[in-house]
Amino acid sequence: MQVVRLERIEQASQNVTARSLGLVACTRCHLAWPKEVATCGRCGHKLQSRDRKSLQRVWAFWLLGLMCYIPANLFPMLQTRTLIYRQEDTIVGGAIELIEYGSVAVALVILFASVAIPIGKFLAIAFLAISVQRPSSVSKSQRQLLYEVVDYIGRWSMIDIFVVAILSSLVQLNVLVTINPGTASLFFAMSVIFTMISAHSFDSRMIWDAQEVDKESAKDE
Amino acid sequence: MNDAPPVDFEDRKASFFHNLSVVWVIPMLALVMALVVAWQTYSARGPIITIEFESGAGIAPRETELRFRDVTVGVVEDISFGEGLKSVIAKVRVDQEVAPYIDSGARFWTVTPEFSASGVTGLDTVFTGVFIEGSWDGEIGAARDSFQGLSTAPLYQPGEGGLQIALRSIPGGELSADTPILYRGIQIGRVGPARISPEGNFAIAEAVIYEPHGRLVTPTTRFWDTSGFSFSIGASGAELNFSSVASLVAGGITFDTFVSGGEPVGDGSVFEVFASEADARSSVFNASEVDLLEMRVVFDENVSGLAVGAPVEFKGLRIGSVDSVTGLVDPDLYGDSRVRLSVVVGLQPARLGLQGDVSPEAALAFLGDRVRDGLRARLASGNIFTGGLKVELLDVLDAPPAELIIEDGAFPTLPTTQSAVTDRSATVEGVFSRVNDLPIEELLQSAIDFVQSAGNLITSDEVRGAPQELSALIGDIRSMVSSDTVQEIPQTLNAALLRLDGILLQIEEEQAVARVLSAIDAAAEAAGTVGTSVAGVPQLVEELVSVAANAATVPLTEFTDQVTEILSSADALISAPATQDLPASLAGALDELNRTLAELREGGAVTNVNATLASTRDAADAIALSARDLPQLVDRITEVFDEASATIAGYNRGDVLSRDAQAALRDISAASEAITALVRMLERNPSALIRGR
Repeated sequence: MQVVRLERIEQASQNVTARSLGLVACTRCHLAWPKEVATCGRCGHKLQSRDRKSLQRVWAFWLLGLMCYIPANLFPMLQTRTLIYRQEDTIVGGAIELIEYGSVAVALVILFASVAIPIGKFLAIAFLAISVQRPSSVSKSQRQLLYEVVDYIGRWSMIDIFVVAILSSLVQLNVLVTINPGTASLFFAMSVIFTMISAHSFDSRMIWDAQEVDKESAKDE
Repeated sequence: MNDAPPVDFEDRKASFFHNLSVVWVIPMLALVMALVVAWQTYSARGPIITIEFESGAGIAPRETELRFRDVTVGVVEDISFGEGLKSVIAKVRVDQEVAPYIDSGARFWTVTPEFSASGVTGLDTVFTGVFIEGSWDGEIGAARDSFQGLSTAPLYQPGEGGLQIALRSIPGGELSADTPILYRGIQIGRVGPARISPEGNFAIAEAVIYEPHGRLVTPTTRFWDTSGFSFSIGASGAELNFSSVASLVAGGITFDTFVSGGEPVGDGSVFEVFASEADARSSVFNASEVDLLEMRVVFDENVSGLAVGAPVEFKGLRIGSVDSVTGLVDPDLYGDSRVRLSVVVGLQPARLGLQGDVSPEAALAFLGDRVRDGLRARLASGNIFTGGLKVELLDVLDAPPAELIIEDGAFPTLPTTQSAVTDRSATVEGVFSRVNDLPIEELLQSAIDFVQSAGNLITSDEVRGAPQELSALIGDIRSMVSSDTVQEIPQTLNAALLRLDGILLQIEEEQAVARVLSAIDAAAEAAGTVGTSVAGVPQLVEELVSVAANAATVPLTEFTDQVTEILSSADALISAPATQDLPASLAGALDELNRTLAELREGGAVTNVNATLASTRDAADAIALSARDLPQLVDRITEVFDEASATIAGYNRGDVLSRDAQAALRDISAASEAITALVRMLERNPSALIRGR
């Protein structure tokens, strides 16, 4: 087995993939199996060379995330009720108000965390999902980097939800001041979760598969 | 060198649906859910109604709520201006659930915090902001989607029980609007905002009596104003009336049904609001009151004191009141430019006691007839305290003929007659000020002081000593009579007689018998005079009795005490031994005289008697003269006591009393002095008694 593998590595020059060697790596315990093996003998996970439905999942969750992102921006994020007034702020509305009050930095943080990042994530995931099916001018390594960034940064979008959760749990002074999470907070959290799942569903190996497809097609031509 | 298995492609192409991930179910589900929710939300959306307000006080889009029974049933979606910027139109999205009930009977008003004397309302809007309150009944009526908003909350809300009535001010009266209606101090209703009638002669306000108190209102119910307080001074004293502190501040209207037995009235009845309970009460008995007959009276004199509302009386019965008083200068009509008093009076025909048709016209005809018979108007004093005047209608006998002057466009004018206005107020005021100025305290003090002085005077040693002095005086007289000098009078007389003897002898024969007879007559007369003088003493006692009688009539105990003291003093005076001795002394004096005469008789020779009879007659004359002085003395004392009696009887005649008392005492003292002087003169010159000089 060792010999075979080494031989195959040598044969495959620089761009030898497990797949091209007829191997499938278990996505759970990373043990490689011949592609005929259906289940990982070590951990029992189902072996699959490429998740063909990965892109479908990406798009499905992406769509869900986007759907949730719309009410997340339309509905109020925070409900501030004091003795004499009641205020409901949407994410963007609150940020604009902060700018009007002069807290530009805070507003920028909010805009960055709650608007720029989620929208960037939507765009990035959509781009990645499209780029694996269509030829792309962006190099594979850049796309891989983009994917990693998206995957990493996704969880930070939850900072908004944390702020809302902390505020609403701390500021409960009965009639004087009460802060409650608005409807949007739920949708925003759902949106973040769904985009994270979406990003997670993306099989980054497809970025590199596409290259081979490109090459093969180039060869065919 | 296996290529990518073509199975992949085959698989993909084999079945699109087979390759479709189950994951798509989730977004599909979400989409369906979203659509369902959206559809539900859309379909659950109620209709939009527009409410037109005069001002958009605090109404904000998507914030201001529409509430019904304090439950939010809608939200203002939009605010815009009405046509010509004359109003504010709020578009309100109402809940579908209640939308059908918002029919043409619905009413809307904005609720804002309100601080008034009767309380604070809408306080919750301070925190929640203004909201629109709607009210409608529980029945679905004709649909309507545009409404006119009210500026204030309506008095009652549809669906709430309550008797809706209208309250009207009496002509010339006032109406307090926006006040509670109290009954026995409990608020059972409310008066809404008032408006002025088109003619401007009264104010009218909607009012509601909450269930179940509506049955308290019958056609004979009278409403009156309990606002503020009234202060009046009348025959029964000063009265301060107010019903409660709350009504003092906020005002209030109360009512009562003075005559029982009326059926409860229905909605829409109109009641008058009287100024006071008394007015309301008195109006009950004029249930058939009709429109007032207004007449004008022009008085020649322009006298102040006639006020609007002053009574118009006909034979003492109030038949109306003065509606207005104005000055009138009309040189053309009256020929001079004097200011006259033009008074418009409103007469209540129902109070004239007309039979049959009770109307202003009938009353005017009746008055026209009466004027021909001499009915005239005049000003008369109404209230002597305030100087207020009233208008009085009375029949004037032999009045110059006159008619009611009836002109178009003017009130009928009643002829007048001489006013009966006395300046009673000034007189009364003068009386009061004089009464006020009377030094009553000083007067009483003086009286008390005087009586004390009188008591002191009577009990003083000088007065007590007066009898002793009198007694001593008489004792002096007696001692004088019995003194040697007087005793010597016989000898002297004897000598004189002896000396006269010769002369007497010369005329002895001629007149002896007649002279003796006349001398004896004179002696008898002298003795009789002495008797009458003694008879004067009981008279003195009588006088004292009358003094006591007078004293007994003195009403005040203090005076009585003093007088009792005086009387006891007088008693002591009378019972003093010296006084008791007075008649005895007189008797003694007479005895002495008798003895002297006896000695005269004895001492004188019988032969000399005839000669001395003439002289004796002279001496007896002198004795008679001196004896005549005694009744005078007694008279004097009697006078003193008369005066004392008069003094005591007239103790309440002011300062004269003390003067009289002093004068009386001075008289007593003068009398004593006179007697003393007489005695001294007799002592110095005893023969004066005999000689009468």
